[in-house]
Amino acid sequence: MTDHLHTIKAAVIGGRHGEIKGLVQQALDAGLDPAAIINDALIAAMDVVGKDFGDGKIFVPEMLVSAVTMKAGLDVVKPCLTGGESQSRGTVIMATVKGDLHDIGKNLVSMMLEGAGFKVMDLGTDLSVDKLIDQVKTIQPDILGLSALLTTTMPEMQNVIGALKAQGLRDKVKVLVGGAPVDRVFAEKIGADGYGANAAEAVELARRLTGAKA
Amino acid sequence: MKLNAHNLVMSAMFGGRRGPRPAVGNPTSIACHGLMEKAGVFFPEAHLDAQAMAALALAGHEIVGFDTVMPEYSVVQEAAALGAQVDWGDRDKMPDVKGFPNADFSAILMPQDFLEKPSCRVVLDAIGILRRQVGGRVAIIGKVMGPWTLAYHMAGTQNFLLAVGMGESAKVTRMLRQLMPVTIAFINAQFAAGADIVVLADHATRNLVGPHHYKEYLLPIHQEIMAQVGGPIILHVCGNCADRLELFAESGVDAYHFEWQVDAREAVRRLGGRLSLAGNINNAQTLLQGTPEDVFRQTRYAIDAGVHLIGPECAIPLSTPLENLRAIVAAGHEGYR
Repeated sequence: MTDHLHTIKAAVIGGRHGEIKGLVQQALDAGLDPAAIINDALIAAMDVVGKDFGDGKIFVPEMLVSAVTMKAGLDVVKPCLTGGESQSRGTVIMATVKGDLHDIGKNLVSMMLEGAGFKVMDLGTDLSVDKLIDQVKTIQPDILGLSALLTTTMPEMQNVIGALKAQGLRDKVKVLVGGAPVDRVFAEKIGADGYGANAAEAVELARRLTGAKA
Repeated sequence: MKLNAHNLVMSAMFGGRRGPRPAVGNPTSIACHGLMEKAGVFFPEAHLDAQAMAALALAGHEIVGFDTVMPEYSVVQEAAALGAQVDWGDRDKMPDVKGFPNADFSAILMPQDFLEKPSCRVVLDAIGILRRQVGGRVAIIGKVMGPWTLAYHMAGTQNFLLAVGMGESAKVTRMLRQLMPVTIAFINAQFAAGADIVVLADHATRNLVGPHHYKEYLLPIHQEIMAQVGGPIILHVCGNCADRLELFAESGVDAYHFEWQVDAREAVRRLGGRLSLAGNINNAQTLLQGTPEDVFRQTRYAIDAGVHLIGPECAIPLSTPLENLRAIVAAGHEGYR
């Protein structure tokens, strides 16, 4: 790895948000491949950050700062991508289910998916089943990511999957679920296609489920 | 135990003796659809009307058999009184904060009439009603949000945690210190209204922040709160907090309300001599999705481990079956082995 890539990666991991734009610009000026900056530095850094979070070495405040840092770097490098390089790995709708206004987990997953090359449509929080179904029909995403922080709202995920089935849409979209009270057992029980315990796992899952496009 | 006249006398009264069975209690909400139907009281009325609030709390004792009554089902009563925009939800939805008035970390001043704001008054009145109805027979638990949770509501959780992550410690500490008097005032008012115990809910949970964040920012504030309030306090912090149990003990609280993710035996081993332990029955898998037998088994494990006040780990999902709540009580009534 070049010094530039190494420095950018370290800056994202360390959450040095004030420096990142300059570092990415220096790398571009030095002639580095924009795709390499994204994949080998910005995304690679978030993979480390995601793993550290999963291992309990860092927490949401540090992860948020790294994600903000990565996004600032992406903003500099994205306009430099050529048509082929900027092709999306897939489209993802992200939403927190009805009755739940919590969005940090969803936002982190959205930022990391975007960094990983997905086109992310973040619909926000408190999304009713009807609204989600409408959006799935309109956007026709590869993946629908559902988040819930509350044990009081996690049953809503099952309602969304039920409505997808009723509308004949279930086979057209993969459903990923996550959030503090959600686990693999619950995901399987409600018929989701996957569960991510943290943002890094969610990205890995999205990559796997859209393997044909990756 | 804080050394004040009340606590010394209460401790002297019981002299460390315990009854034939553990207490079954709910430091957080056990309101669910089944309980609302039995009580004839529903959300959002139960957040906004003192009689309805007290009636639903009482149902937890009279219909399910809990040894406590806890009349606050939301986490937003204080935020509403401080000017945050609150959606009070409906029968199927818990209230939540929709707009954050101090997202710019502007100064927060507790209104002089804070305790008279409708969302605070209703809780104090409900506690008073319960005192008159069951005082001395059933333990009345109040609940107050700590400064960390209030900061989530006033500044927005992500916004607040980003400031923590950016190392903006002066800004973060200033907001916590501005919110601390709110917590202290509401705790003391709930004791004055008739609460036997008050829950201090402060969500410095492992899902969000680390033990170092708790130690740096919140532990000194919790210690200061404990110096300025009266009776027994239960600290509620959800999530797997095995990495900060001892820090909670340093705060000076009397009990810790904890989740199933922290093994009950480990919690008792590490804290049992310094703190009482409450809760520990899993919400998402056991109470919501499990059978009464599953609940019974898990409750017995917690009792045998030495958990002092048995109950759900956190506010239960609204669709929790009533028979699962009853299974906690049944396991408690089997007594100590």
